[in-house]
Amino acid sequence: MMNRKHKSDLVILFATLALMALGLIIIYAIGPMRANVLNNTYGTDYESNYFFLGQLRSIALSLIAFFAAFKWIPAKYVKKYAKPFMIVALILSALLWVLSLAGSSLAKCELGECRWFNLGGFSFQPAEIVKLALVVYLADFLSRKKEEGNLGKWKEFWLPLLIVCGLSLFFVVIAQGDLGTGVTLIAIIFGTLLVSGIPASQYLIMLVLVLGVSVGAVVTSSHRMERVDAWITTLTNGESTDSTYHVDNAMLAIGTGGLFGVGIGNSVQATGYLPESINDSVFAILGETFGFIGLFLILVVFVAILLRMLKVAEYTRADDDRLIVVGVFCWFLAGVVVNVMAMTGLVPVTGITLPLISYGGTSMVFIAFAIGLVLQLSCYTSREVIKNEDISSRGRVRGSHNSSRRRSS
Amino acid sequence: MPQNKQVKHRLSILRNITLVALVIITARLFFIQIFEHDAWVAKANEQHTLLETITAKRGEIYMMDHDEPVAVVLNQAAYQIVIDPTVTKKEDAEKVMNTYAKDYQVANLDEVYNQEGLRYAIIAKNVPRETAEEIAKSEIPAIWLKKNNQRVYPEGEFASGLLGFVNNEGLGQYGVEGSLNEALAGKDGLIKTTSDVNNVALSIGTDNIKIPASDGANIVLSIDRSLEKGIEELTAEAIDKTAATNASVLVMDPNTGKILTMANLPNYDPNNYSNVKDAAAFNNYVTDIPYEPASICKNFAFSAAINEGKMTPDTTYFNQHYEIVDEWKIWNAEQRSKLYGTLTMRDALYWSLNTGSIYALKLLGDDPSHINQQGREKLFDYYYNKFRLGHVTGVELAEAEGFIPDPNEGWGRDSTYANLTFGQNLSITMLQTATAFSAVVNGGTWRTPSVLADVESNKEIIDNTEKVEDKILTDETSAMMREMLINNRSYKKRGGIDRAGYDVGGKSGTAQVVRDGAYDDSFSELVGSYIGFVATSGEMPKYIIMTKMWGEGKSISSSDAMDLFDTLSNYLIDYMKIKPGAV
Repeated sequence: MMNRKHKSDLVILFATLALMALGLIIIYAIGPMRANVLNNTYGTDYESNYFFLGQLRSIALSLIAFFAAFKWIPAKYVKKYAKPFMIVALILSALLWVLSLAGSSLAKCELGECRWFNLGGFSFQPAEIVKLALVVYLADFLSRKKEEGNLGKWKEFWLPLLIVCGLSLFFVVIAQGDLGTGVTLIAIIFGTLLVSGIPASQYLIMLVLVLGVSVGAVVTSSHRMERVDAWITTLTNGESTDSTYHVDNAMLAIGTGGLFGVGIGNSVQATGYLPESINDSVFAILGETFGFIGLFLILVVFVAILLRMLKVAEYTRADDDRLIVVGVFCWFLAGVVVNVMAMTGLVPVTGITLPLISYGGTSMVFIAFAIGLVLQLSCYTSREVIKNEDISSRGRVRGSHNSSRRRSS
Repeated sequence: MPQNKQVKHRLSILRNITLVALVIITARLFFIQIFEHDAWVAKANEQHTLLETITAKRGEIYMMDHDEPVAVVLNQAAYQIVIDPTVTKKEDAEKVMNTYAKDYQVANLDEVYNQEGLRYAIIAKNVPRETAEEIAKSEIPAIWLKKNNQRVYPEGEFASGLLGFVNNEGLGQYGVEGSLNEALAGKDGLIKTTSDVNNVALSIGTDNIKIPASDGANIVLSIDRSLEKGIEELTAEAIDKTAATNASVLVMDPNTGKILTMANLPNYDPNNYSNVKDAAAFNNYVTDIPYEPASICKNFAFSAAINEGKMTPDTTYFNQHYEIVDEWKIWNAEQRSKLYGTLTMRDALYWSLNTGSIYALKLLGDDPSHINQQGREKLFDYYYNKFRLGHVTGVELAEAEGFIPDPNEGWGRDSTYANLTFGQNLSITMLQTATAFSAVVNGGTWRTPSVLADVESNKEIIDNTEKVEDKILTDETSAMMREMLINNRSYKKRGGIDRAGYDVGGKSGTAQVVRDGAYDDSFSELVGSYIGFVATSGEMPKYIIMTKMWGEGKSISSSDAMDLFDTLSNYLIDYMKIKPGAV
């Protein structure tokens, strides 16, 4: 049962390409500063266009992934391999963990956290695969359980779900120490669960349980408590310390931007004051460069993508397709909201990239693939799915180009 | 189908979450970017602005060697070691200091690394160029070498009381370095620029400023280097021969006010000024410390009375060894019996009789039997207004003012003024004394003394200094004074100490030390002084030499100071190749 194909969602398509272009421009402007700072401070030898070329390569790869998901790989194949894909993602994560415990050079570690496979000049982060795999797996799993009528049942539903989600979170948060991805995974899990149609009471109980565990995990870790402490200090305008240095300087960059910003190439914070200026902190540099108006427009573009994704979800007929869209929505939402709120001192810094803009290969390739998948699914939306519960309202449907009355089968 | 309604409802929850997040974030951005904008800009300026001073080169100090200026204070290029403690590892910094720059360390590394947020710390100064180059080769992150100038005194312990030194902050202290600091230091330039985290200037920013440094002036002193050196050696020998621990010598040209020697012994080494325990060692006793030159002042009282037409060297008075003023019995130091009776004023000066100078004061008041108000006021006028005692002389160095008591205010004016005639109850510096004495012997003109040579590089300072030239005594007064001063040394000439063909005149002074507000009559501590001139016989004086010798708790009589004068006057005649006149 497949809706007839129509045009994809152009807002998502062009907004995605626009954000990638913006990322390229900003890295072009501040990449040389980054190279200069690293060379001066650590005696490295980066060419001034090193980061720009890196971003160009990432965007090229991301566009391939984007169009592969959008045009070339039918979603049904993706769904068909949901389970094996999830298993591969977990096995890769487990492998990375074992390799890092064994001290192998195949596991690339930074600041004591081993998140990357080192494949000789090329490194990639299995956590990104876990995100994509979990989106697809949950969509498949939840829609299947719904069809079977097992939603909410302990043995058939909750047990396998907890095992898969628990393992994913264990590898990402505990083994790799990647709280940012952990937050994204939790967003994906709770977003898809919400839309899957499980009883509200069970959903709320799970939410409370996970919140409880999360608070416990923060309180029992001195490293995480330090971040929370720094965050509270920042919120209350307390004394600057080493812990608040990152967010202090992010807010300083944003604050100096004012209404219109200092203009492209005039960022001073990017010359070494703001840590992670090209990746996790790029939003702050955007704020310094383009000001309040610029940031607001950028946020509007992000929100436009998000709201269009929800529209696509709403008009997608099949449960599993819809859940894929919702999963990608949550992934994207978590990335934007957690990153931006961290940069503005609203939540503690977790180390999460700004989707589509931050420098960083793996994360952009995977989010591009995920958005591509949404775009593919946007070609098959139907007004009727929502409307058929109320036949009388059919007459109000407008814009027939993206709705199909005729069943293809 | 309620299922679909539920989906739609739950999707709307997600949409609402998205929109609420947008609203919160927008509000937060508005707060930070619009409301707090100015505060963040201020904070950013503080963090981004690199203020770097371009150090002006400090002027060098020269002395004259006959007619050629030679450098006695130089600069040497040296380096400061600066680190960013957030980037440079403490071990690395320690290694650099221990391997190369232990001797130049100025900051405690533990303290530097304990200061939170510190990104710029000077940890060593005055590191020589070769060492700095070695450190540069070690390529440790965020360690910089910044050029600074080190002050070098190549002669070491030489004229230190006159020259002073430059402290760790680059400020001149004491002597020429302190007094003429402004001219020597020049004006530092300034670079104000937006900089990156490693303090490298950026081209970003609109209010970048660069003000170039204007280097300090080179200063040429009128001091004759070899003469200063020779006199310091002879004076050091004199200290060794006597009980004195200190001596100061001033040589000046009475006709121009130019100072040729200003020696304060013992010297200290300005290269290692921090080794000096007692800051008194830094004093320039010639200009900084007022004292009582005692009987030397009789010259001024005599000059006043002669210039007022009240007396000549041949005027006589009756000496009975003492005088009672305000119920105080003032004794002469010299009480040999043959002096009892009628004496000339020439004799009174020769024997340095206090009764003689008190008589001069009486004559100033037109009453040979009493000191009166007119006499006191006349003496005050000469001392304070004409000889400018109790004033700074206006030399280019830091000076003490000293003090001359008022002729009318206060109790016991007559006895105070009787004391003034033989140099007690006042406090004046050696330079004030010698400048006044110059006027006594040079024909009667008071001139502002100077330590600067008349050369191009000094022009600005000399032009800015007020120069006084004031004819205060008649030629005749001066000639009579010279005649008596030469007469004072007639026995020296007979003894061959003063060579034939030269006119050497002089006057001694032995001062009691004031202890707890009263003169110490036990004479346990005395300060000996002598002042005199040398001239080709029959001609005007060419040079004035003043010597002062003392020691804490030591009884140094003027004869020690006079012996030093004798040595120096002959040394000066030879050194300056003063031609002898007709015998």
